[in-house]
Parts: sequence; structure tokens; C-alpha cells
Amino acid sequence: MFEVRCRIAAAVLACAGTTALAQAGNADPLAVGRQMLAEDNPGELWIDQGKQLFYAKRGPRNASLDQCDFGLGPGKLEGATTRLPRYFPDTDKVQDLESRLLTCMVQLQGFKREDIVKRAISPGGSSGSDVEALALYITSRSNGMKMNVALSHQKEYDMYKAGEYLFYRRSGQTDFACIQCHGEPDKRIRLQDLVNMTDKKQIQGTVSTFPAYRGAHFVVRTMQWRLYDCFWQMRLPELTYTSDASIALTTYLHYQGNGAVIQVPGFKR
Amino acid sequence: MRNTWLRWTLLGAPALIAAGCATYPDQATTHQIAEKMVSEDFSAPTPALLKRLAQDKSQQICSKIGRAELTQAEADEVLKLARASIKYPESGKLVGDWKTGDKLAHDGAGDRIQGGRLEKRKENGGLCQNCHALAPGEINVGNVGPSLTGYGTQRGNSEAIVKYTYDKIYNAWAYFPCSNMPRLGATGHLTPEQVAHMVAYLIDPQSAVNRK
Repeated sequence: MFEVRCRIAAAVLACAGTTALAQAGNADPLAVGRQMLAEDNPGELWIDQGKQLFYAKRGPRNASLDQCDFGLGPGKLEGATTRLPRYFPDTDKVQDLESRLLTCMVQLQGFKREDIVKRAISPGGSSGSDVEALALYITSRSNGMKMNVALSHQKEYDMYKAGEYLFYRRSGQTDFACIQCHGEPDKRIRLQDLVNMTDKKQIQGTVSTFPAYRGAHFVVRTMQWRLYDCFWQMRLPELTYTSDASIALTTYLHYQGNGAVIQVPGFKR
Repeated sequence: MRNTWLRWTLLGAPALIAAGCATYPDQATTHQIAEKMVSEDFSAPTPALLKRLAQDKSQQICSKIGRAELTQAEADEVLKLARASIKYPESGKLVGDWKTGDKLAHDGAGDRIQGGRLEKRKENGGLCQNCHALAPGEINVGNVGPSLTGYGTQRGNSEAIVKYTYDKIYNAWAYFPCSNMPRLGATGHLTPEQVAHMVAYLIDPQSAVNRK
């Protein structure tokens, strides 16, 4: 499976390269390659895998996830991720997609939480994790729908504000907060474009395209991974998977991304 | 949102007053909630490494929501702390070897934490390439910070320029309080000797940065 994926990725990259060369002289020749890649996204392969995992009877309780409630009722997936993160009365917590998925895998299927967390973010070049495939499948059921995160419960307001606070909180030996790299238009780290998270359009473009296929890693990456990886690069301690800090930042970004049309898997370099 | 309105309408005003309306928490509450997350939601191989999340006084001042402007008193305090932080190499030489500086400038590794492990390096990379244009014609460089191409050609290598350059790399906030530039020497990311090599890389007329 991995080999097939690699071959597809290599072929796509080769094609994109040729086109980019052919169009050399354009203002942004890289944009051509990116467009080509987006049109033939290997991440699509994970959607089916996620669907199978979702409806298969698995875990110690031999149960499927079709009774999992992502906020619109058990098993209702259409549009569910447009409203995430949101407050869930049963757990008394604000949860994002991956956090809610963990709740269901533990409660419905009987998996051990720490076992899932350990494997949630897959190694690059692997066949990916269950959580990554599931997160992509569930999100894909909101494709074409607009993000519509609401702040109504007090804990949702608290999460949003904490996310904003963390977005600007500088620490560590690089003195970085999120804003240092994601606060101005048209910036790059080396050749990688940086999203300007003070621009609504750019926030929308980001939050509506995760989970995304990451070309350099040959796997599907989730928003939890995106945040974790930033903290790693900032030389800070490791962000705990589905922790409140991660959900606060996600709430802050997703709420600002409201109105964006979800289209996953995205494609990232 | 619509649900909330519906609920309030059905419950009526008395219930609304009794229950209190959910809204944004105030600054102090937000601070408390978010700092609790910082202390609970990260892990590191040793307690010492977890302390990286703790903010010093300058970082606290430089974390304003929405990048609100500093007051004069805040800017003065950051400048004062930054000036006091600068240490020089024991040799007293602020200009090292530009070739070593070149390597450092293109090294973006060191000190990252992943999978419960600290990235082991003899010394940290200088990270310059991530954010600054360096030698002429170099493509794989960032633009978060200003271009450093021709830095020495434009400024010369007087004693004043050497000291300014050293201080700027060691602690940029001594000149620009709360700028995006990491205080590379002051936070311990780089040693004074490493900073001196980078000074050489920027000002030496032979350096790739100053190549015509």
C-alpha cells in the first residue's frame, strides 16, 4: 500500500516539476505545481480506509463507531465537523474532532486511551494511523459545507479566549509565539509559505483543509499534528495530544474560519 | 447561536438574569485558564526542559494580544533587561570565523523535543537561513526578517558596527523591544562564541554574504 502511494506521489511530483519548469517566468512557478498536486490528491486513498474503520466492529467491545455523537446526534456525520470544536454535555468538555473521536473509541469500542494516543500521529512514510484515517473520513462528510463554529456555552467562550492568549504567548529559547511566524502576509520560512493567521481568508483556507495529505511525509496530517509540529519547531515541550491547550488554539482558529467551505483532504507540501 | 437565542427566549428574562449570560471571560480569568493549560498540557523528558514554557519578564511584556503597542515604561523595561543580558566571549573577540558562521547560519537544528527525547547536538544551529536572505543568489532562505545580503558591504566593519551586530544577534530586544527576532544569545540558544562567528559571517569582506 505504501509503495503504491509512494509511486503515485512520485509521479505527481514529477508531473508538477515539468509543468513548473515549462511555466518558469510566471510570478509564482511553485503555485502551478501546488495546483497540480491538489488536483490529484493521494490523501483521497485514506477516506475509504477511514470509512471502513468507522463502520467496522472493532476493539475489546467489538463495536463500530456508528453510534458516536459528534454533536448532531449519534451517527450523524453530515456537517458535524463544521461545528467543531464544541461543548459536549456528557464529557462536560469542549472537544475537537480528534478528542471526540478518542472519547468514542474508548467508550464505545473499549480501546485504551493511551494506546490510541501513542499511535495517533503516525511516522512519516508509514501507512498512517487509524485516527488520521477516521478524522479524514468524518471531516470529508462535511465537504462542501461551511464552517459554523458557535460560541454559546461558557466553556466555549473560555476556550476561544485561552486560544487567543496562547496564540500570542511568547516563551522558550526562540521567544516564539504563533504570531511571530503567522502574523504578516507573504512570509516564508526558507521556501515554505507561512499562513497569515491575522487574515480571515488565510485562516479559512487553512482550517477548512485539514486533515490534509502532507507530500513530504506521504501521510495524512490532522490539525492536532499541525499544532504539535509548530511547538516542536519552536523548541518547546511536546503539546499533549487533544489537550485543552490544543483545543483552545483550534477553537480560536476554527471560529475565525467560519464561513469557509470544507474541502478535505487538503494538500500540503 | 440560533439555539441559544431560542433557549433564552423560551426561558424568559428572569431565567436569563438568574443563570447569567455566557460571554467572554475577563483578562484575569483568561490568564488563569490559559496558564493552567500551559502547566498541564505539555510534556518533556526532564522537568528542567518543561521550564522552557515559563516566561521571563520580557516575554510577558512582549505577549500582548493583537500585538498591542507597548507603553513607554514597558519598552524601557524590555530595553533595560536586554542591555543587561548581553555577555561577550571570554576572549573579548567579537568577530570569529566567517566560515564557521556560514555553517551556523545555515543550520536550523538543535534542542527540539520529540517522542520524549531531546535532539542531541554538540551545539545549536543559528537558524538565520529560516528567516533572512543571506548570500547573493541563495534561494532557500526565508523572509520573516530583513535581508542580510551585503550586510558588511553596506555597513563596513568599524568597531561600532561590530558591537551593534554582536548585540543585535545576542539580544535583538536591546535595540528593538519585542521584535520577532529571537534573543539568540540571551535565551541560551547560542553561545557568545557562536554569536561572534555569525558576526564575522555578516561583516567579513570575504564572507559569502558580502560577495558581489
